[in-house]
Amino acid sequence: MVGLALWWAATPAYNRLLAGFAEGLIRAVERPRATRLYAEERRVVIDRADFPSTSDRPSLPADDLTFDVILFLALAATTPGLFRDRAARGTLVSLAILFALHVLALIASVESFYATRLGAWSAAHYGAFTRNLWATATHFWRFVGCYAAAFLLWWFLVRSTASPAPSGRSSSPAASAGGPSRASRRRGKA
Amino acid sequence: MQVAQKKFLIRFVAALGAFYLLVAIQPMNDRVVVPFTELLVRVSTVLLAALGERTQSFGTIIQSPVFAVDVKNGCNGIEAALLLVAAMLAFPASAKQRMLGIVTGLALIQGVNLFRIVSLFWLGVHHRDAFELFHAAVWQTALILLAVGIFLAWSRRAGGGGRAEARG
Repeated sequence: MVGLALWWAATPAYNRLLAGFAEGLIRAVERPRATRLYAEERRVVIDRADFPSTSDRPSLPADDLTFDVILFLALAATTPGLFRDRAARGTLVSLAILFALHVLALIASVESFYATRLGAWSAAHYGAFTRNLWATATHFWRFVGCYAAAFLLWWFLVRSTASPAPSGRSSSPAASAGGPSRASRRRGKA
Repeated sequence: MQVAQKKFLIRFVAALGAFYLLVAIQPMNDRVVVPFTELLVRVSTVLLAALGERTQSFGTIIQSPVFAVDVKNGCNGIEAALLLVAAMLAFPASAKQRMLGIVTGLALIQGVNLFRIVSLFWLGVHHRDAFELFHAAVWQTALILLAVGIFLAWSRRAGGGGRAEARG
């Protein structure tokens, strides 16, 4: 619930940060540099220098791209020893990686919009392969990628560093994969 | 990162990618995903009727005189199911343990997902303001947390089975 409240309250400011980074990266590679992104509450508005000045500006729902933070924070909150040095560092690194992934997801969403939603302009500027690439990347992130990223970051960077250390001689592949070692299971039952 | 961790990561990403491609292709979507979603919608409609809501189903749409939802990918529990199955396949365990875990896990996820659909529709009818928050964030996160919780519980039990498989 705390993660949900944090995400809900911080999203407008977070979206502004996200839009700024994504715009910078898109403009670094596009010619001419026409894309402008800005956040309006829970959406990111796409503006281009070559859009007609009288037309409405399209926007993307940013919540869909970023709400995996709630999942990550919820998983992190269930982790014993979260505030130990390595686990705390893992949490911060995970949040930084999640931010980078959110920037990439927003870039993919913008490119997918350009590639599939602008009719003749899309067809003229994007081939079939790039259209499918951007559309698939966007769909993958929204469908399962965002959850997988949150889960994997927690599993490898938080949970595995926060769990009680195995005895050091455990040969269990389950323990090595991040699962519970026999030693930690015994401790859990005691 | 240890070798076993790398193996888990690679297997998980590969399985998830393969499952995603499988459900994303049009014939699979049309012949399996959509009919499955329609079944969820019909069961949800029956449950809503039992709660006193005047609902009807049309394909993947649940409709009442005051509210309607179209159940799509992302609301049919398939994303949580894909994550769970990919994680269970990636984790070192015996085939029997995996099968048991997958069947039990999928049943639990779909049972809870039915509750999600019914509760979201009820919210849409009676508390429209709360619908979007619960639809976009609360229930979606809760279902994935459930999948992760099932995986964690299963991996505690399956940990021993992995040793036999790794030796074999």
